[in-house]
Amino acid sequence: MNNHGPKAKSHSGEAEGPNGDWSWVLVGALFISTGLVFGLMRIMGIFFVEFVNYFEESSQSISWITSISLATQQFFSPVATALCNAYETRAVVMTGGFLSGLGLIAASQATCLVHLYLSMGVITGLGWALVFTPMMATVVANISQRRALALGLGLSSIGIFSFTLSPLFQLLVEMYTWRGALLIMGGLSLNIMVCGALIRPQWCSKALKKVDSKPRSSCATVLRRVSSYLELPVLLERPYLTYTATITIFNAGYFVPYVHLVALSRMTGFSEYQAAFIMSATGVTDILGRVTTGWFSDLGYFRTIHLLSLWVVLAGLFIILLPVSSLTGSYAALMAISLLYGFCSGALSSLVFAVMPMIVGVERVMGALGLLQLIESGAGLLGAPLSGLLKDMTGNYTVSFIVAGSFLIVGTLIMTTLPHYFSRTDPPPPHRVPHDVKDRGVHLELEHINNSPSDTSPKGAQ
Amino acid sequence: MQSIRVTVQLENDKYTLRQVFKIVSKENLGSYSCSFGDEAKADFLLAGPQIGEVRDKPIVSYVGDSVVVKCKMDEKKPKPASWNWYKANGTDKEQIFYAAEPQKYEIKNHEWVTKLVVHKLTEGDSGFYYCEGVYAVSTTMGHVELKVITFLEPLKPFIAIIVEVIVLVAAILIYEKSQSKKNSAGGNETNADQTNTPTPGDNNGPEESSSTRQRKV
Repeated sequence: MNNHGPKAKSHSGEAEGPNGDWSWVLVGALFISTGLVFGLMRIMGIFFVEFVNYFEESSQSISWITSISLATQQFFSPVATALCNAYETRAVVMTGGFLSGLGLIAASQATCLVHLYLSMGVITGLGWALVFTPMMATVVANISQRRALALGLGLSSIGIFSFTLSPLFQLLVEMYTWRGALLIMGGLSLNIMVCGALIRPQWCSKALKKVDSKPRSSCATVLRRVSSYLELPVLLERPYLTYTATITIFNAGYFVPYVHLVALSRMTGFSEYQAAFIMSATGVTDILGRVTTGWFSDLGYFRTIHLLSLWVVLAGLFIILLPVSSLTGSYAALMAISLLYGFCSGALSSLVFAVMPMIVGVERVMGALGLLQLIESGAGLLGAPLSGLLKDMTGNYTVSFIVAGSFLIVGTLIMTTLPHYFSRTDPPPPHRVPHDVKDRGVHLELEHINNSPSDTSPKGAQ
Repeated sequence: MQSIRVTVQLENDKYTLRQVFKIVSKENLGSYSCSFGDEAKADFLLAGPQIGEVRDKPIVSYVGDSVVVKCKMDEKKPKPASWNWYKANGTDKEQIFYAAEPQKYEIKNHEWVTKLVVHKLTEGDSGFYYCEGVYAVSTTMGHVELKVITFLEPLKPFIAIIVEVIVLVAAILIYEKSQSKKNSAGGNETNADQTNTPTPGDNNGPEESSSTRQRKV
């Protein structure tokens, strides 16, 4: 590591972050690692039938495995981002890759269900936590010119991986049973370490910025440092809170179709294959939505946040229309609405991350995303069971889908209360004032520029 | 082939033949047919229930593990009185007796389903297994193939993947080290156009460029 002085200066100077070829290598790393996290999570279902037969447990107890891994991933996100702020992102992501592989390899030796919960659930979930949010934040922080497109491309791997790996793992389970297939899945997960290795050490370190003048670590100092690694102060800011509340409410409704669409189609009277085909087709439009909206948003005709609101409202609308179209009994109608829903939901999911740096500023994206993951996980955990409950109470899915769709629309209304929502251009993102005295001069200059009239306001992510 | 000749009377413009057969044993099963001179003929095939779904892909399991081999009779058909299990031994079938080796085999029968549990698998346990559903007048046979493999099988692709990961990670880290050595060896050259150089690149950007960048912001 080199001088802290110039580096700190360049941190504050390069508010946009270094662009260029290496940023796109990072997008590739994000692509692979996200696919190996959420793509693998989606195909875990292949193992469930095998587990039910082998361990002779109910499918509900088996489905806890995915729930545990997802909850662990989201819950430990702030810890992961705090570690990145404290140490090197590269080390964190590589450790995460190692843990996720280790969990799956350990799972291949499982002799009882609890063993699976701990290995495939907790250890792998923890590994995924150390991978996903740090990688997302790294890409968001490193790219400003075509951020939405980069995120769209990076996240498109979820659909692509689950689509292509699904038949592959079906074959592996047939050849090597679930034990062998899990072993190989663990090996594949270790490739996340390769992705982590690609993260250059420049973008870490609040630790370097903080030149602590007090060498004794009193309790207060330690707490303050921990809270700054976790980015806790961001919780006190109204824009961040508003945005987090919005995303949390989105989460309550957003997953519902993924969980219940197949059941809705079966209930309408379509066969298993027809229902499965609707899901696959929705997955394809999801990928399309992610990439095209990213590209379109970067063209700059509209503010990213306005586009996000548009896609969310449309997605909410289509979710409400889903049971309505199923009432007509027409397969074409249900398929059409599902495709449109898939497109909108893919569109909104990558824009959600692209908007974050405009709310908290690029330097704090790491911690902010970690906290966001944690907070939104609560809604995600509640959303699907809530809609299941509504279905049990009313006998069909109409009410639960309508409620899910309205969550999205209500969330958008909350989002309109963000400051500067209705202005035509992006407001300048907030800048942290560092403690380092050396930078103060540079920063005063920066603030002066930021406070100047909006004509010179940043084109930044636009 | 037995033949019965019956005379029928015309009733309501139709000639109807109804015959009752008692099915007592296996010999009574088979092909029956009735014919009305040369004008009408009907064939019937009397058979015991057959096992419908047979798993065509082999069941795979590991040495030392235990495995469940399952045979199922369609629930719409009558359930067998009892089940037998056989293991193929060359061209013969050898019956598996529950009591003979209780440590090794377990047979669990439940109405339409029979399960053979084989413990402490060895590679010699690979092969075809036959389940026989026994009825009063007939039996029916299904088969399942069991393949026992050692853990070395999936280990081979796994080791290949591990090697690939190690090679790639090492390559990336070595490449980066060599890049940084090149830069520090080359002195404080400005590498402003190469944005993919690590930290020394930022170091060298003179104040001019960083402040101009600020101005644009």
